[in-house]
Amino acid sequence: MEPTSSIAGTTALLVLLLPLLAAIGITLFWKKDEEFSAQLSIGAIALGFALSLGIFAFTGDKAIEANFNWLSVGDLKVSFGLLLDPLSKLMLLVVTGVGLMIHIYSRGYLQGDRSYSRYFASLSLFTFSMLGIVLANNLFMMFVFWELVGVSSYLLIGFWFEKNSAADAAKKAFLTNRIGDFGFILGIILTWLALGSVNFAELAHALEGKAFPFASLTEPLGKIAGGTQWWIVHPNVLATLVGLLLFMGAMGKSAQFPLHVWLPDAMEGPTPVSALIHAATMVAAGVFMLCRIFFLLEIPGSHALEFIAWIGGGTALLAAVMALQQNDIKRILAYSTLSQLGYMVMAVGLHSPRSAMFHLTTHAAFKALLFLGAGSVIFACHHEQNIWKMGGLRDAMPRTWWTFRWGTLALCGVWPFAGFFSKDAILASALEHNNIPLFVLGVFIAGLTTFYMSRLVLVAFCGNARSEEASHAHESPGVMTWPLVVLAVPTLLAGAVGIDAYIGKLFPSEHPLHDGGFLENLFAPFNHNIFAASFGLLAVVAGYQIASALYVNTDRDRLPEKIGVLAKMARDRFYFDELYEWFISVTQETLARVADWVDRWIIAGLLVRGTHGTTELFGRALRLVQTGSLQTYAFLFAAGVVLVLAWQLLLQSPAH
Amino acid sequence: MSLLSAIFLLPLLAALVVLCIPRNYKFVIRLVTLGATVASMLLALTLFAKYNAAPVENGFKFVERHAWVSVSALKLDIGWHLGVDGINLGLIVMGAIVAFAAACVSREIKRLEKEYYTLLLVMTGGILGAFASLNLFFFYFFHELALVPTFIMIGVWGHGENRNYATFKITIYLSLGALIALAGLIALYIQSGANTFDIVDLTKAVKARPLPLAAQSLIFPLLLFGFGILVSLWPFHTWAPLGYGAAPTATAMLHAGVLKKFGLYGLLRVGIPLMPDGAAAWLEILAFLCLGNIVYCGLVAMRQKDLNLLIGNSSVAHMGFIFLGIASLSLVGVTGAVVVMVAHGFLAALTFGLSGALREKTGTLEMEKLGGLLRQIPFLGAALVMAMLAGCGLPGFANFVGEAMVLFGSWRAFPLVTTLATWGALIIGAVYMLRAVRNILHGPEKSEWAALKDASAWAKVPFVLLLAALLLLGVWPRLLTDKIQPSVATILTMANAKTADKAPRPSDVKKAVGEAKQRAVQPR
Repeated sequence: MEPTSSIAGTTALLVLLLPLLAAIGITLFWKKDEEFSAQLSIGAIALGFALSLGIFAFTGDKAIEANFNWLSVGDLKVSFGLLLDPLSKLMLLVVTGVGLMIHIYSRGYLQGDRSYSRYFASLSLFTFSMLGIVLANNLFMMFVFWELVGVSSYLLIGFWFEKNSAADAAKKAFLTNRIGDFGFILGIILTWLALGSVNFAELAHALEGKAFPFASLTEPLGKIAGGTQWWIVHPNVLATLVGLLLFMGAMGKSAQFPLHVWLPDAMEGPTPVSALIHAATMVAAGVFMLCRIFFLLEIPGSHALEFIAWIGGGTALLAAVMALQQNDIKRILAYSTLSQLGYMVMAVGLHSPRSAMFHLTTHAAFKALLFLGAGSVIFACHHEQNIWKMGGLRDAMPRTWWTFRWGTLALCGVWPFAGFFSKDAILASALEHNNIPLFVLGVFIAGLTTFYMSRLVLVAFCGNARSEEASHAHESPGVMTWPLVVLAVPTLLAGAVGIDAYIGKLFPSEHPLHDGGFLENLFAPFNHNIFAASFGLLAVVAGYQIASALYVNTDRDRLPEKIGVLAKMARDRFYFDELYEWFISVTQETLARVADWVDRWIIAGLLVRGTHGTTELFGRALRLVQTGSLQTYAFLFAAGVVLVLAWQLLLQSPAH
Repeated sequence: MSLLSAIFLLPLLAALVVLCIPRNYKFVIRLVTLGATVASMLLALTLFAKYNAAPVENGFKFVERHAWVSVSALKLDIGWHLGVDGINLGLIVMGAIVAFAAACVSREIKRLEKEYYTLLLVMTGGILGAFASLNLFFFYFFHELALVPTFIMIGVWGHGENRNYATFKITIYLSLGALIALAGLIALYIQSGANTFDIVDLTKAVKARPLPLAAQSLIFPLLLFGFGILVSLWPFHTWAPLGYGAAPTATAMLHAGVLKKFGLYGLLRVGIPLMPDGAAAWLEILAFLCLGNIVYCGLVAMRQKDLNLLIGNSSVAHMGFIFLGIASLSLVGVTGAVVVMVAHGFLAALTFGLSGALREKTGTLEMEKLGGLLRQIPFLGAALVMAMLAGCGLPGFANFVGEAMVLFGSWRAFPLVTTLATWGALIIGAVYMLRAVRNILHGPEKSEWAALKDASAWAKVPFVLLLAALLLLGVWPRLLTDKIQPSVATILTMANAKTADKAPRPSDVKKAVGEAKQRAVQPR
């Protein structure tokens, strides 16, 4: 390993461990000193961001790997390993950069909370876990940090655990994620069994030149199916199965249908948490993971990617429709996050991890901006979250207003904001793969996105104040608004700085991208694929026209009159929560009830009480000669020995 | 007294000392107990630090061996033989740490202290002695020495209305299990023809001349179910939640954490390597019984309203992973099983210790009555959250490493069972663990618990210690696995070197029985 690379490896390790040390330090020593706790947590991530910039500047697109032996038993060799390649370096910058802004913002937002230190300790724990996912060089380590991210999210959603709704949301998020993790770990086990390693580089190497890499799973899988059926034996089925099991992990973390139900509820956490974890980073981990294991998904013959594309597209559509009728400002953004994650997953499914990562990066910036802006609004309106009780905030909160507007423009995909470029890349990849249905779906969702975001902006910021709180609102303190301003910069510029070309080096495609400098990149989408760009912009215009017709200067929602029952279904989230509750209660809860009943009445009841009864009879008989349970015990003991000896003697006696 | 024997003889000696102290000197009694368990713990840690993975003859280190009783006319040979390898090393260290933690939490005992502490020390010495012994006689003797105090302690110092029934049930069950296992061990002694209770000598003898198939297929089930009852193998598990629910805190910690592992240890040390063919016929069945533990008992735990019953059922569920790992006969799986044995010891002690502290403060463990406690008792609450997360397999805690290894190691041998076990590990476990956190710690504060005080600095010691152990092994698993792996490999070599490659057919059995009988009458 070159000297520079080992320095980079050590630096990456430092970036990873700093937040952990901050979290441990706050928890053990400085819990009482709130100000210092916040500084420690912010300092750790700030230093991490600086070091990540250094790594990025000095190593460029070189790939560097560092390994520390963590566990080695038989064939299972797991290293605590770090992998620095364009993918992880980009994510490092996203997580520490956006994270830093949100850490700073939190100092203002959480001011006066009685668990201020605990908040920053949890936030640092989250940063550590997230960086672990980003840097992991093998599937096992990724799973370890995957779970740690899950638990930090649990702790932060349930930060205000006295609220029943927050406590329930935390539990729901963790359990829903666990369902995804169930598939993920099975996928990892199967991959390890078939290919003999969990390390990404070794796995990619093991795949080379193998026509049917998962063929060795035929026999054990046949065992489950009760015989070797054709659909088990078929190598394409095996590759698809493993790919989909791994995808289940992403389904949980990135809240893809049908495991999407936890994300809107997760908004019970403090708003900066929603921005960092449930918009910018953790929920993007699923997409990141799919890009990381892309080589396992695109095995020839595997149909996993097709499935992934449609799950992504379906989630994007479903969430966008549900966002139409939400009234809570954070929930609108939550459904919008779901929808955008669907876009990214769809991009992976369209063989374009490059555009997925591109959208992930720009989305991290502008969605964090939107959530923090929403937080600023909520803060100003004394924790009022209903947009219909806001209004007229544009004059009261100028800085929040213009940054929020920028974020909205980026999310809708208006040129030259960053979101336009990344969304265009996804639409273009749908066209390149001749997937017209998904292209149409993507354009339609872009229209929906503009519609619900315009609704949010027109209702909450424009018109007249519709409540006492809104009329007295004033701009938030500088510690909260300056992060908004900083995040507004990448929201405007990130589209044309060449992120897609940088990531593209890892995923060579038929249409190689070249980074022609900022100005050329600014117009590249129109030269590259004019259809995608113009349809995308057309959808934005249409969406805005309809929204402005409905929501300019109004104090009630007129959409339900137009679309009827669909509005009610969208508002009630298409009854997925009710459906799942019913499903769980008829399956797992019923099983539990049956098991409990059997345990109580059959095993412990009949059998044991039966034995109990018999033994008691036996005991009463023994009581004629013995008293007390200890002696009974001793007698049983001796009797047993005698019995066995007798049996052995019988066995030994000559039979002939 | 060598280092190894001092670890378990110290508590036994301390028990004698406590017997001589007048019963009014409660402070002195407690001091002696704490002193002995601390010393024993420090010695065990020294043993752990001194143990290296360099190969030695027979695989055992710190060996201590004396002749004791040898009556040739009765073909009786019982020797004092101690030693550790990678498998019992972790168990001894874990046992010693848990014993100290149990001594710490025993402050809740307010009557008949002298008797209580005597029994606690005897139990401690017995447990550690059983794990250190390489002679089946002492192995069994020390187990009984620890088991009998368990019954008495539940009966005298136990909690709840069900106490008498629980005492009765646990006594009957565990005595029966121990008896069946004893029958198996004696049969093994006779059938091996080696004339020795010594595990090392027995192993050598069996290596030279494997046990006849018939003997194996008769003796192995005796050990499997005898030991299985001691470990609460489904469906012989109902004593466990009930017994632990009624037991004094320290007893539950020591039994669920340490003594219960005796059966698993015996199965791994004696059953699997000495009777590979006998085992072959049963392992598939054992794997399915594991599901009874993992899935069925997990589901039962979901329905519990009392924290101790929930923990008790979850402890039964965790045993399933160990059985599954052992049944897989793969290096990864069995090593993982041993890691779970150690990790679960710490975890069970931690959870029962915490629930004991909670009961002492609130007077109830009914989850409906509790709620919103995290504000009042931040330390105990946070420790309980960590324990519950460790229990549902969160990475960073030792249980995750062990359970993951079991799942990785068992999938090829038992794909369906392992898949369902994964469901149990990731989802069912999380459901009841988080439900407990939700109902006890989260939610609005209740006025009746407003005056609750968190644990004092001294009361925190055992919990910090147990948590630290779980975290250390979770973050740095090679501390254990590097030591366990070579020893497990030795056992697996024997277990996989079957005399016949297939499970015994009836005709084979008949033939083998004939041969065995013939051999038995021939002069040796």
